[in-house]
Amino acid sequence: MRMFPSRSALRNLALSAASIAVAIALAGVLVAMAGANPWHAFAGMFQTALGSEFALGVTVNKTIPRLVPALGIALALRANLWNIGAEGQLTLGAAAASGVALFGPSLPPALALTLALFAGIIAGAAWGAIPGALRAYCGVSEVITSLMLVYIAIQLTNYLIEGPWLAPSSTFPATAVFPADYRLPRIWPGTLVNAGVFIALAAAAAVWFLVNRTTIGLWLRAVGGNPRASEVIGLPNRPVIIAALALSGALAGLGGAIEVLGVRGRLLEGFSPGYGFEAIAIALLGRLNPLGIIAAALVFGILDAGAAGLQVASAGVSSAIVLIIEALALMLLLAALGLSQRLDQRRMTRSALKTAQG
Amino acid sequence: MDAGSITSLLAVAIAFAAPLIFVAMGELISERAGVINIQLEGMMLVGAFAGVWAAMASGSPAIGFVGGAAAGLMLALLHAVLCFVCKAEQVVSGIVLNIFALGLTTFALKPVFGPSAAVAAPTLGNLSIPYLADLPVVGPILFDQNAMVYVAFATVAAIWWFLTRTTAGLALQASGEAPSAAVSMGINVPRVRWMAVLTCGAMAGIGGAQLTLAGLGAFTQNVTAGRGFVALAAVVFGRWMPAGTLLAILLFTITEALQVRAQLVGIAVPYQFLVMAPYVVTVIAIAFFMKRGRAPASLGVATPDH
Repeated sequence: MRMFPSRSALRNLALSAASIAVAIALAGVLVAMAGANPWHAFAGMFQTALGSEFALGVTVNKTIPRLVPALGIALALRANLWNIGAEGQLTLGAAAASGVALFGPSLPPALALTLALFAGIIAGAAWGAIPGALRAYCGVSEVITSLMLVYIAIQLTNYLIEGPWLAPSSTFPATAVFPADYRLPRIWPGTLVNAGVFIALAAAAAVWFLVNRTTIGLWLRAVGGNPRASEVIGLPNRPVIIAALALSGALAGLGGAIEVLGVRGRLLEGFSPGYGFEAIAIALLGRLNPLGIIAAALVFGILDAGAAGLQVASAGVSSAIVLIIEALALMLLLAALGLSQRLDQRRMTRSALKTAQG
Repeated sequence: MDAGSITSLLAVAIAFAAPLIFVAMGELISERAGVINIQLEGMMLVGAFAGVWAAMASGSPAIGFVGGAAAGLMLALLHAVLCFVCKAEQVVSGIVLNIFALGLTTFALKPVFGPSAAVAAPTLGNLSIPYLADLPVVGPILFDQNAMVYVAFATVAAIWWFLTRTTAGLALQASGEAPSAAVSMGINVPRVRWMAVLTCGAMAGIGGAQLTLAGLGAFTQNVTAGRGFVALAAVVFGRWMPAGTLLAILLFTITEALQVRAQLVGIAVPYQFLVMAPYVVTVIAIAFFMKRGRAPASLGVATPDH
């Protein structure tokens, strides 16, 4: 990832918006090919995602678990590290928060929630620190290890859900419902939106501040930009690498904790449809900028919340069209970035040639 | 556990290994050339889908494998265009193509196979090797499998031979280890990487088709269920060597076979621990036994421009 975008941030975000628009148009063609009316399908989608106060609430709830991990992925990318394993950190964060909520002491709600959220953060951070340590001390790419750790985390969590934590009366793999003290309070009457929104927005602000206004942020960017140079000037490369991935994991874990404490109220098997993987696309579509990431996460939230409406309005076209839109949007963005870079290069070469000749 | 059930367990493990071998050998070729394919899972998935589709349409499993290879190839082509033409990060392209493949196959499931999806494609029958199949113990384990199992094992030998005994194989390794040096030796590194990625796609597609066509002959949503990632782990665990990767796969599939027969054998380990075993041993192997620089030196790094 280029650290300093060659174009203005606004133009970058416009490129992302255009990619998403074209992806939706292409998906419309697919819907038509499947024999449904794309207008009706997308109208149904937007009705379910944005058509009422309640619908907006659902969209917000679908945005948060994608937004918070995406912030973490962007943070690690500042240090040029790929946290591919956010899905695992998110799952384990959710499991840890659930563990506290299920077996924690009876505490005042504020204290109880803080404890549960911190459990999620710490579990995510620990799971993120492993690929960090392996990268720093064994020289192994964090890509493979963080990916492997995703499936370990999911299976560990499934074991807990199907084994010791299984609710006795449940007919499907899930824990018991958390006690009320361990539920994030609803903040918007008439909707299911919970206080997790504030936590997510605070996390976005904190990430922006950390990256742009603190020494730690400078270290991250130095290590990501040129590790050899940062070593020469005495920066502790290895701890910075571990810290970057641990912080990234902490945010993913927080995202998982908010999801179970705020939305689900219990730990369910397969509660994440791949939030952590989608978060990678979101971080890039948001061009690593917190505001951009919020916007991109909101788009994904709308698509997810609208998927059910789309399925109804289009007589059974699969909601998997949403995955296609997400993937197409990022592919188009990558293509557009690649092409604009090539054009830039050509222009630079031409002007350099002109200077040389002149 | 008696001898008979050990024999049948190993026979099952060998059959389970075949799809993974195709996929992992494709990835091995590509990684040795310096390109990582996180979308291995996705290529396997589209291969499994197209395999069933083509076999159903043609009535021949062989055509099914061709269809699977073509589908994997198409996804690999997208990866190559994104990485080599658009200069995108290989990791990002891989992740996004996985999402794309899952979306596409789930979306197309009903339109292509109908609402019930119960129609089955012609599957691959067993091909007993005369005389050898009658051998005690090894006969039923190794020589009473479907035809593509033999092809899979032959592929391992072929890839070993290609990598170590041919000029093209050495050029491929050079492209992954020291692309700049390779370029100065007159090797067309971009071309090598294109070929490697496309080969990987076709092989992953064949692996996916093997999964469905040697199995039930039907495609179900996300039928690969992480096998592409297991193949990715096998290449790392096998230290980027064909034989090592094969051994890693066999270790994984014996565990998988145990998992299927856990009740029969009377193992008390929860199945989730058996499912995660390949990933756990791979991470442990990386942590404790992997010396620096085992992976191809320029794995995941863009080709040098010239």
